[in-house]
Order: sequence, then C-alpha cells, then structure tokens
Amino acid sequence: MRLLQTVSKLAWRNLWRNHRRTIIMVGAITLGVWAMIFMTALIRGMVDNMITDGLRALPGHVQVHHPAFRDDPSVENLIGVSDAEIRRRFESTDIESWASRVKVPAVITSERESRGIVLFGIDPAREVGISFVADDMSDGRFLEDESDSGIVIGAKLADTLETEVGKRVVLMSQDPDNEVADRGFRVVGLFDASLDAFEETMVFAGKETLQRMLKIGDAVSEVAVQGDDYRDVTALTDEVRQLFSGNEEVLPWAELDSYLGSMLDVMDGFVLVWMVVIFMALSFGLVNTLVMAVFERVREIGLMMALGMRPGSILAQIVVESILLLLVGLLFGNLIAYASIEPLKTGIDVSIVAEGMEMMGVSTVLYPKMMLKDVLLANAVVLVLGFLASLSPAWRASRYEPIEAITKV
Amino acid sequence: MTNITWLSTAIFFCVGSHAHAQDAREIVKAAIDHWRGTSSYSEMTMTIHRPDWERAMSMRGWTEGEKKSLVRVMAPARDKNNGTLMIDNNMWTYSPKVNRVIKVPSSMMNQSWMGSDFSNKDVSRADDIVDQYDHVLLGQSEMDGHVVYEVESVPHEEAAVVWGREVLRIRDDNVLVDQKFYDQDGELVKTLASLEIGDVGGRTIAIRQRMFKEEAPEEWTEILVSDAQYNIEIGEGLFTLSNLRNPRD
Repeated sequence: MRLLQTVSKLAWRNLWRNHRRTIIMVGAITLGVWAMIFMTALIRGMVDNMITDGLRALPGHVQVHHPAFRDDPSVENLIGVSDAEIRRRFESTDIESWASRVKVPAVITSERESRGIVLFGIDPAREVGISFVADDMSDGRFLEDESDSGIVIGAKLADTLETEVGKRVVLMSQDPDNEVADRGFRVVGLFDASLDAFEETMVFAGKETLQRMLKIGDAVSEVAVQGDDYRDVTALTDEVRQLFSGNEEVLPWAELDSYLGSMLDVMDGFVLVWMVVIFMALSFGLVNTLVMAVFERVREIGLMMALGMRPGSILAQIVVESILLLLVGLLFGNLIAYASIEPLKTGIDVSIVAEGMEMMGVSTVLYPKMMLKDVLLANAVVLVLGFLASLSPAWRASRYEPIEAITKV
Repeated sequence: MTNITWLSTAIFFCVGSHAHAQDAREIVKAAIDHWRGTSSYSEMTMTIHRPDWERAMSMRGWTEGEKKSLVRVMAPARDKNNGTLMIDNNMWTYSPKVNRVIKVPSSMMNQSWMGSDFSNKDVSRADDIVDQYDHVLLGQSEMDGHVVYEVESVPHEEAAVVWGREVLRIRDDNVLVDQKFYDQDGELVKTLASLEIGDVGGRTIAIRQRMFKEEAPEEWTEILVSDAQYNIEIGEGLFTLSNLRNPRD
C-alpha cells in the first residue's frame, strides 16, 4: 500500500515535470472525450427523434391487426372483433392510451390532381397523445368527432392537389366486396408533419364516416396502444395480447417497423465503434507521450532500479502516470461535454441541411440527448484502452538493465 | 360521373324526343331518359390529338339500359380487340397482348381511358347525375332553330365529384350542346362540346364531340359517330367477361 502511495506520488510529480507536454496531452484527451460524448449525444438525439416521430406516424407502441393486414393492408383484413367490443375490453384494464382506427389505401382527387394515400378513420378524442396530427394543425381545425364529415390532409398534399381548407375533394377506395367506395369530403384542416412523407400520404377522416363509406359496419383495421416508454413495451404487449386471445396479431413497434426497431441496436454498436475510433487517434499521442517520458528518464529509472526498486514498481509507476493523465483529461472532457450539451437541450436548428435530413427520416431540429450509459462507456473506453496502450512503454521501462541505463548518455 | 352520362349520350346516342321540360332537373332527366332503357349499337372513331402527334382508333360500342356497356377497338391492328366492359359501376379491361381481363381498381379510376382525355371514371360511372346534383335553370336561348336550355348543376356535399359546378347546355330535342366543368373557385377546367349535331340511324345526336382542358386547348379527344342502330336485339352473353375476352359478335 505504501509502495503504491510512493509510486503514485512519483507518477504525479513526474507528470508535471514537463507540464507543457502534459497540458497538451490533457488537452488532446479532453477534446477526444468531449467529441465522444458530444457526438454520441447528437446521434442519440437524432435516433430518439426518428423513433419518436416514427412512432407517432405508425402510430402507437403496440398495435393489433388482422394477421394478414400487414402483408395486405386492405379493407378485407379487418379485426374480427367489433369496435364496441374492443372498447369494452380496454375499459376492463388500466390501459388508458389506446385508439382504434380504420386504415385503408385510397386515392384522393381534386379538380386537377389525384394521389394515392393512406386513409385513416379515427376517433379524434382517443388519438390525443398517440398520433401527431392534432397538435400540428397549420390551418383550419382538427376533426371534431368520429362522425365528422370533413377530412384533414397534409399541407404538402394540399399544395399538390391545388386545394385548400373549405374545398371539396373526392376519396376513392374499395369496400370488402371489391366495389368502388367513394365520397366527396370537404377539407376542414391541414396539418404540418415533421416529415414531408407524412404530409403527402396521410389523410384523416372520422372513423364512423369511413365505416359507412366502406360498408364495414362496426369493424376497424387497427388498434394502437401507447405505453409510457417506447424502450420497454414487453409488458404492455403481453397485456394487450391477453385482450385479444383470438386470431389477432399483437405486435410491439420494433417488430411493426423493423427499420426503427433495429435502429436502437445499430446505434449502440455505432456509438462504441465511434468511441474506439476516436481513441485510436488519441492513443498515438498517449503512447508517444509516455515513450518520450520514459526515454527522457532512462538514467533516472536505471538509478531507481540500482537503488533496489523492483521492475514491477517501475511498470506500475509508468502505468499510474498514464492513468493520472487520462483521469485529468476525462475530468475536463466530461465537464466540457456537459457544459456544451446542456445549453443545446432546447434543440439545434439544422434546417440548412433539412432536405438531406428529411430523406433519412430525421426532422430539422436536433435535440442532443446525453445518456449516462454513453458517458460511462466513453470513460471506460478511454481508461481501459489507455491502460492497455500504456503497458508497452511501461514494460520497456521496467526491462532496462540498471548498469546500462545509468551509463547511458 | 356526369361526364359519363354525357359521354354515354355521346357515344351511344340518345335521341331527341321533344320533352318540354319545365324545370332544370326535368331537362337533365329528360336528356338522360333518352338513352336509358334503350339498347344500341354504334360505330365510332376516337381521335386523340396532341400538338406533336395524333392517333385515331375505330371502335364499336353496345349499350343496354343505363348500366351495361361494352366498347371494343377494331383498328388500328395493334390495338384490335382491346375492350372495356362496364356493368353498374364496375369496369373491366381486356388487352389481347397480355391476354388478361383486368378489373379496373379504384386507384386507377382517375387514369386515362385508352390514352384519351377521358378518365376511366368518366366512362364507367353511370351514377345518376339527376340525383347527385342540384340543378338550376340559368336561362334559354335560340340556336339553329332550337331552344337551348342552360342548366347549372352543383354536386351535393357528399357526392363523389370534384367539380364545383357544371354548366350544361341542352337543346329542346335533348341533345347536349356542351358541358363545362368548373373548379371550386369558379374557374373553367374542361369542356365537352358537341361540334356537330346531326342525324345518325334515324335520330338526332351529337355526331362529333370534343373533350379538352381549358389550360391546353390544343390537346383534345374527339369522338365521331359514323353509324348507329337503336333498339336492337342484344344477345344474352354480350355483356360478359368471356365475351370481352373472346369476341363472338
């Protein structure tokens, strides 16, 4: 123990013998650690954003469908339980955030254009907090109730169709007998979505209105259930599965949208690779510094060995020196990362590159998200790899022949 | 859907009986009643014109009542036997090249019918213009010795019609003079006009009708009726998918 104390003291003092070199190295480590944490926070924020947006568009953490619906989202594949029965079943649980919907492919036509879209028949009151539309109206009003005879379309779609709030458009789809089901609707509101794709392809109408138009009675195509945290939906999925013991397919979001689902795992891997890469660059500086420190002190090390210090202690001294250096760098790196992320929590506007970002499914405001596990990972990577990198110069120092070392000019 | 009505009027003729319709709805209804319930056979040529090209197809058409019709291309040779069958609101097309009968899905109803300026919806929907619109008589005028009624038809709120209103001009012998489609801002979008009215097969009909968009009047589709017979016997199997595929006429 006393030995370790002596070794640490020696290492600490040695560190500041050439303070300029040490400060440069601390600076490099600080910068590296900051880059690891800051960039990771940005990426995490981006992915979080992407998933949250994706979930709001899906929407819902857990969904119930007819088993064939996901392969063929047509009006034939309806849930085999009536809407009223679904309501009764959910009311017997403590799940509060759920919504049933009619969801069919359709064609929307104005005087000048027509477009293929996905038509959602919703109950506006139930959708609050699950899907995004109600919060992002840019013009007009949202649907009032499930028998509302108007529709809400995306602002972008309205541009394409050359229509606007107050005008009529025609929606065409098919009923379960393959007959054309169509009807005129007045556009009552426009919504803004973070992604153009949503604005162009999603159209919302009252659930009852659509059920009448499609002649499907009291049936729905989808039930969406929202939990507290998208990262953990296993329990919720099981609970919903209990409610639908029949043929219905109950799936969590990660399986509904495997692109989004795999995103989280991919990101964990990516973050680690990113940190290791930064450390690689950093390690050259670190090893170089240590090698230099050893090289300068060959005679001194020889003397210590001649006076009876064991090679193990020499090795320990160099390693401790390296670890102290890393700890100082980590301390500053973590502080600076925290200081730079905190004021950016309200969002970074990246609308200059919005087009490219939207292509990736990312919205134009980035919210950096500093996660404890990423910070710990960054620190662990630096410490562990730094320790390994310092072994080589330390090993060399401990292998000197005392006589040779002392006499070395 | 109205276009249809009128296209049908155009293609499969209706006839002038002299209904002295008093109000606007009666005028429109009378014009429709002329082709409804009768059977017909007609030969016609459809010309699709664009600034840099033009093509013509000769076709034969059969109708029975309001709900059934069949159109088959006779020339040019590469399009021969392409056909369209319409029963109620359903539509099937047959192309000998792929040897398949395809039911036209709702998503394709707005696409062009055989490359013309008529959409599938234009030609297939036999929904009743009388019931899905409110009609107002705007006025009347004289033309070629006939009284011409001008009727404004505004679709009902829930009608599957995109137009803001349509203005029809109908002669007192129930021949459509023209039909103008306005958008919801009151701007004229497209026009179906009868360029030639005359007697074919013993009836007064629009012989040559042209459909064109206001934005691009140099692009149009014309249907010229060259021969027609009315109230003919129509065989049992005429309006069937198998006849669409294997013509027996």
